[in-house]
This record gives sequence, C-alpha cells and structure tokens, in this order.
Amino acid sequence: MTKKLLMGNEAFAHAALEAGVRVVAGYPGTPSSELIETVAKLHASGAARGVHVEWSTNEKAALELLAGASYAGARCLFTCKQVGLNVASDPLMSLNYVGVKGGLVLFVADDPGPISSQTEQDTRRFAAFAKMPVLDPSTPDEGFAMMKEAFDLSERYHTPVIVRPTTRINHASTFFDVADATDARSVPPEGFERDPKWIIFPRRAYEAHGEINERLRAIACDFAAEPALAAFNPIFDAGKGPKETEKACAASAPALGGSLAGDSKKQTSVSRETFDDGNGNACTPLRGIVAGGVSAAYAREALRMLEQRAAEQGSELPAYRFWQVGTPYPFPEKTAARFTEGLDEVLVVEELDHVLEDELLRFAGRTHAAFAVRGKLTGDARDRGENDVDDLAARIARFLDIAEKQTDVSRETSSPESPSAPATAPASTPLSYDAPADDPLPVRPPVLCAGCPHRGSFYAVKRALGKAPAVLCGDIGCYTLGNAKPLDAVDTCLCMGAGITMAQGFAVAEPGKKHVAFVGDSTFFASGLPGIVNAVYNGHDVTVCVLDNATTAMTGSQPHPGTGVTLMGPKRTPVSIERVLQAVGFECIVHADPLDLDASVAASAEALAFEGPSAILFESPCVQLVRPGAPAAVDADACTGCKKCITEIGCPGIGFDGDARGPKSKERGQAFVDASLCNGCGLCTQVCPFGALGVPPAGQLADADAAENPAAVSHETEAPAEGGPHA
Amino acid sequence: MRNVLLAGVGGQGTVLAAKVLAQAAQEKGWQVRTAETIGMAQRGGNVVSHVRMGDGGEEVLAPLLAHGTADLVVAFEPAEAARVVPFLAPGGTLVTATTALQPVTAALSKTPYRAAAVVARLQEQLADAATFVAVDDAALCAQAGSRKVLNTLLLASALKTGCLPLDVDDLRRAISSCVKPRFVDLNLAAIDAVAAR
Repeated sequence: MTKKLLMGNEAFAHAALEAGVRVVAGYPGTPSSELIETVAKLHASGAARGVHVEWSTNEKAALELLAGASYAGARCLFTCKQVGLNVASDPLMSLNYVGVKGGLVLFVADDPGPISSQTEQDTRRFAAFAKMPVLDPSTPDEGFAMMKEAFDLSERYHTPVIVRPTTRINHASTFFDVADATDARSVPPEGFERDPKWIIFPRRAYEAHGEINERLRAIACDFAAEPALAAFNPIFDAGKGPKETEKACAASAPALGGSLAGDSKKQTSVSRETFDDGNGNACTPLRGIVAGGVSAAYAREALRMLEQRAAEQGSELPAYRFWQVGTPYPFPEKTAARFTEGLDEVLVVEELDHVLEDELLRFAGRTHAAFAVRGKLTGDARDRGENDVDDLAARIARFLDIAEKQTDVSRETSSPESPSAPATAPASTPLSYDAPADDPLPVRPPVLCAGCPHRGSFYAVKRALGKAPAVLCGDIGCYTLGNAKPLDAVDTCLCMGAGITMAQGFAVAEPGKKHVAFVGDSTFFASGLPGIVNAVYNGHDVTVCVLDNATTAMTGSQPHPGTGVTLMGPKRTPVSIERVLQAVGFECIVHADPLDLDASVAASAEALAFEGPSAILFESPCVQLVRPGAPAAVDADACTGCKKCITEIGCPGIGFDGDARGPKSKERGQAFVDASLCNGCGLCTQVCPFGALGVPPAGQLADADAAENPAAVSHETEAPAEGGPHA
Repeated sequence: MRNVLLAGVGGQGTVLAAKVLAQAAQEKGWQVRTAETIGMAQRGGNVVSHVRMGDGGEEVLAPLLAHGTADLVVAFEPAEAARVVPFLAPGGTLVTATTALQPVTAALSKTPYRAAAVVARLQEQLADAATFVAVDDAALCAQAGSRKVLNTLLLASALKTGCLPLDVDDLRRAISSCVKPRFVDLNLAAIDAVAAR
C-alpha cells in the first residue's frame, strides 16, 4: 500500500482495480475522463495486471462491449459523463432486463452548475427510470468504498449498478492508501454459458420485469440493513440535548457512516442516548436534515459553522437529526422510517433534481406521516445549480429557526413560494473589491487557445461565405467556443454529432441559405457517422467542416479512431475520415491547413459552391500536442493601431496597449503579442493589412529566443499536475 | 482549519500549486482536501483551486471554501485577485502577481484593462482588513529564466509572510516530492530568490 494524493476520479480507478475489474471502457467527458486515463496509466506501468482498457468510439459502443464481457463473467466498468448515458441508454435499458454475470458498474459523472455540460440532468432519475440501483458519494473517500461495494452488489443481484459522483467529488483530491499492484479477477472457467435468458424477447422481458421489481425490493432492504451498504446512509442526532460525547461524535461523524446506520435492530429507536440530554431530560429532535451527494458535506460544514457561531454567543443549536442518503435508489424506506420518527419537519438538500425530496414525500404520503418536507419544491433549497456552504448555512439557520441569518438565500431560487428575501446581515461583513463604474473588472470567459487551429478554420469559412446568408451549425467540443466574438461562427449547438444532421434540417426548411456543419474529429466518429450517411442518402446540400486536430481536445487530449493510438499500447492503422466520406459517397472533399488563410478560404469557397453534400477537412494538430514555435511580434513602426488583428480573429495571445506609441499609430495605441501565450501559428500575420505582425522564420529560433520565450518550454515540459487532462 | 484559495487563469499552474500545498500539509500529518476547476474554464477562463487543511486535527468535510474563510488567497493575476476577495477571511493574507493577462474581451472593449490600477485599488481597499502582498512576478520569473515557476514563487512569497503554519522549508520539501525531477532545481532556485528578497 502507498499513500497518494489522488483526485476522486483517480481514486475510483484504483478502487475498481482493487475490486478486480477486468474490462474498462467508456467515452471521454468532463468530469469523468480521468478514471480511464488512470487505469491506462496503471496498465502501462505494469501495476494493473490483466486489465483491458479502452476509449470506445462512443458510450453505446462501450456499454455493449462490456455487456458481452460481463455475460462471459468478467468484472466490467463503464465510464461516461451524465449526457453520455443518454447515448448508452439503448443498451442500458435492455441490459437490466437481461441481467449481468460479471459485476457491471456504470460510473456516471453528473455536473451540477452545469460547469462543463449541456444539461443538469440527474443520473439518480435515470437509475430509477432504468430500474437499477445507484450509489451517490458525498466525498471521494466514500466513493472509493462505494465503487468496491458496487461490484459485489452487481454480482449478487445480476444487475448493473450505477455509481454517480458529481464534479466536486470527481475533481476533489485527498490522500488515499492504494494497492501498489492489482490483478484483474479471472473470467470463470465456464465463461459464457448459452441460455435463452441472454436473448431479449417480449415474453422474457415480461418475466424479467417481475424479477427486477423483486430485486429492487430486496436491494432497498439491503440499503437499510446490510452493514456495508447501510453504512452509506448514516444518521446522527446533534444540537441541544445530546451529551457532550455525542456532540463530538456528531461533529466528526465519519462520512462512511456512524454506528447507527449499520444497526438494523434499532429500527425504531434512533439513538437511545438521544432521548436523554445528559440531565435526564427527554429531548427529541423535531427537525431533520436530509442530504445527498456532496451537499451532505456542505451541510455538515454549514452545521459546524452554525454550531461555532452559536457557541460564541453562549448558546447551542436546537436539537436536529441528520441523514445522509448515499443510496438514493431503490430508496431505503426502513432507514427513512427510523430517521423520520418523531420529526415535525424535514429539510432536503441535494443538487440537480428533487429526488430525495420526492421519495420522502411519497413515503410520508403512504405512511400518513405528519412531517412536512421542505426543499426545492417549496423554495427552501436552490432549484438548480450547485449548493455551497454559505447558502446551506443560511437555509439551515432559517430552518432551525436561529435568529441570526448569515447570508442571502435568495440567489438562484425561482420558486414562486420563495419571494426573493432581502439579504440579512451576515455574521461578519465579507470583504469585497469595489470596482469603479468606469473601470469594471474584465470578464474572462473561456476562449479558443492562442494558436488554436480552429480559429483559422472558422475565420476562413466566414471569409468564404462573405455576405451569403448561412446557418453555421456547431457541435460539442472545444470548437463550441467558436461562438465567441469576434469569430461569432457558431449558430447552434445541441448534442454530440447533431450539427451535421441539423444542417440538413435547415437545408430542407431554408433552401436559399448555405448550410455548414462544424464537427471535431472525435465527435465525427462518436456520433457523426449516421448523419454523414443521411446527407448522402437523402441528398442534402450541406458542407461538413471537419476540424481535425488529431485528438479529443476539450476533455484532455484523448486518442480516438482517427489517431490509431490505443490505451493498450499497440498503434492501429488510423481510421481515415477522408476514406469514410469517400466510401459513403461524398463527391466533393477538399483539404485545408487552417493556418494557411488564403488556401483555406479557397478550399472553403470550393466546397460551399458544390451542390450536394461536401466536406472540408481542416487538418492541423491541437496546440496542446505540439511544441510551440517562436512567438509573433508587433513591428512598432508599422502597427497603425487599427485593431484588425483583434477584431477579426480574437486570439488571446494578442492584446492592445492604449499607451503604446508609434509613427503610424499616433495616439491610438498599438497591438502587442503576449509571448508567454503565443505559439507562433502565424494566422495574425496573414490578417494584418499593414504587415505589422511577423513570426521569425523557422530555423531562426535561436537558443536565446527560446530562453526569452517561456512558451517555448511549455507543453511537453509542462509541470506534472498540468500535464493531466484539461477539460 | 486552514483554508487557501488559489485563483488564476486556465493554464497558469494553480492545480500544481494546490498539489504542492496538499503535499506540505500531508507531511505535517494534517488531513487535506483540494478541489480544482477542470473543464471548459481551463481554456483561458478564470479558475480557482481550493485547499483545506485540518491543521488542528479537524476532519475536513467540504471540498470548497465558504466566503470569508480563506486564511490565504494566492492570485496569479491581478483581476483574478480582485474577483475572489469575498473568499478572504478578515485579517487574512492576499498575495497577488502583478503581471496582467489581458482577456480578449478587454482587448475588444472600449474600456481597457489596466492591471496596475486594480493592484493599487486592492492595496487601498484591503489596507485595514487584510495583509496585502503584491509580487513582482515579472522580475522574479525573468531571474529564474522561466514563467513556469510563477506558482512556486507566489507560494514562497505567501509562506514567507507567516500566514500559514507552513514555512518556506516545508515548501522546498513538498516541491521535491511533487515536481518532476528535472524541474526541481529550477523551482528551488525560485524559492531561494524569493527568500533572499
């Protein structure tokens, strides 16, 4: 065992390997990508023995591959981000009816905020829809334990199991003790055994539905009573009443659960000690707080803050009971019964959907219980986005009826029952930076990197289009950032691969316009292919621009079929996008180097003029993959301060210095190049009408220049933590 | 409990800085959690890393800081320093680089971004409420011969103030176990340069 600082996703990879996982497959997507990368690294170093790991073409391909491996008896792990499960939903829904043999765990990362996603969909809902169990960690440590339990649970009931962390769990780091080497569990000797149950037919589905209903009831009981699983649903009492020892226990109750959770015998007496405040007085909490996922950590932190503030004022928090639900589906009703006993009111804090809130309402309704349920539906919790300690402290203070209200809770809540309450005075006024009205802080949205080849592709297509009316369909990847000004080259973005097919819909509805789809190389393979075939089959007049940067850039530079690089080592023959297009029947396919502006504009014009499906293959590697060249420089004698380099292509490597002076720029100021960002792509030198921007010719980059230019030592020599994934 | 917030622009090295602090805390035997901004914002957007250390033996629960609780804020860029001031605890320490990274939006806008004015305003507004340290990162990076040491020299400048129960030697040790061997000397030299100032 070695103690290592690991990001949640890295830790989950170790947990799965320690559980004997044999086949790992998925498709990259923030915040899930680092798990597979970690397995690949450990495999490459020889530490993960016997495992097969791959980036599959898309999530559907990955899950189907794993279904096969699982039928043969291998322990399998699937990974994706929340919207990736949409792509894999077809096999997923049937797979639960068929059942699995080797443990099959789906690691699906949700993204409250959302921070890097299209939706705030909640995979706990998906689990209920697909009728399979889901585990929801509140810390990376707990997720580590859940990952191991998930494989056992899957094999015990022959069901796929979902482990659903959220971004703040995936990307939080702490120290873990991990095994130095792991061995994948071998496939049982009998392997795949032929049986009618592997073939999904209507009559079999009817039978299987009954088996699923049966096992969900059994799993709900396990979640309440089976010690290893019930530990994920800890309950504790705190506040005024508990003895000192219990308060200490409450303050440091481990996320993995207190002793109460695993004790199935005490289903009706929550905690005997709770009913005694140390002076022999009965003191039962009337209010309960239920929390799921990372909100449980925020809520406990908020409670600790409120306890401290109360102590400073010589008082205590009123008695309350706390329940962290780590197994939201199937809902452990027996635990709910223990938790709610004697409570008047329950506050539910969770991110994304009101899943736990619904379950408690259902439970209350069926048992004719008297407790009220507060949460998203009542305007007592944020109805979208992330929770945080500040917000929960304010809401819990209000719920517990503490006079002092810490912060404004009106933010981001739009429930009609929650009129935006005015900010109440915080405990101490937080510091702030007051920017004068005429000098606001600059906003800093994400942008295409300096030197990104996509910039040239977008710019060339726009130049070739000129004033012709056109719809520019974007897609999922770094190139969605082509929407930002000044490029302003993305009119739509829906889901993976949609741009190609949406352009065809626009072409049908508005035939008078040009219809252009931008798609990345990885997205092309992941879900662009059916749209490509449709364009030819149905004869749509669209131009598909493939932005081929030889990687899956947004999620941190993963390989894909077009690179031929695999996670298992051997390099395959790259799948050629051009040959795919030829085979499908594209009759106009042109190539362009997006860093060569004139040639790119000419190639774009040719493809746009073609009637019928056409393609432009813009080929230039991602700047994260190549050693940068010497940076461009501004000739102060030539720059007129016209800003065209900025207003045309908007490269973050070019700034404007209002105080710079030169013979041509007079009082206007001049552009400047930030040498620490510029990688010398040269696009700006082709945009400047005055020849004021130049890049030293290749070969002229002397050592002295390299030393002057820090960017010249970046990327490949990047410091360790930055060498990891970037999106 | 000690809380540190690292704020910067995607690509500046906040992630490694958080890792180094976590390593230093671990070597003291404290529980530690860090949280990063990973994803689209890393493409030149503003990013933060949270570091929470249980220096008094406390269990660290949430990965993210609450407002007004950062004992130390390390900013890699002046506007990013200003943006995260609400996280700073009263009496805390804010250390910022003074070199600006001009966002495209500022270059496009009519109101230019003047970083020196932001630094001056921060100094004035935090005067009585917190310790403010402006680091001449341009000079120190030039001395080191690389802007790659920005994260290390900002951490060294911060720890030099004594704002955390970690000192420059703790930083040296953590660097040696976090940074690729061939960059260790470069980073140690940057620490020496800060210590000598």
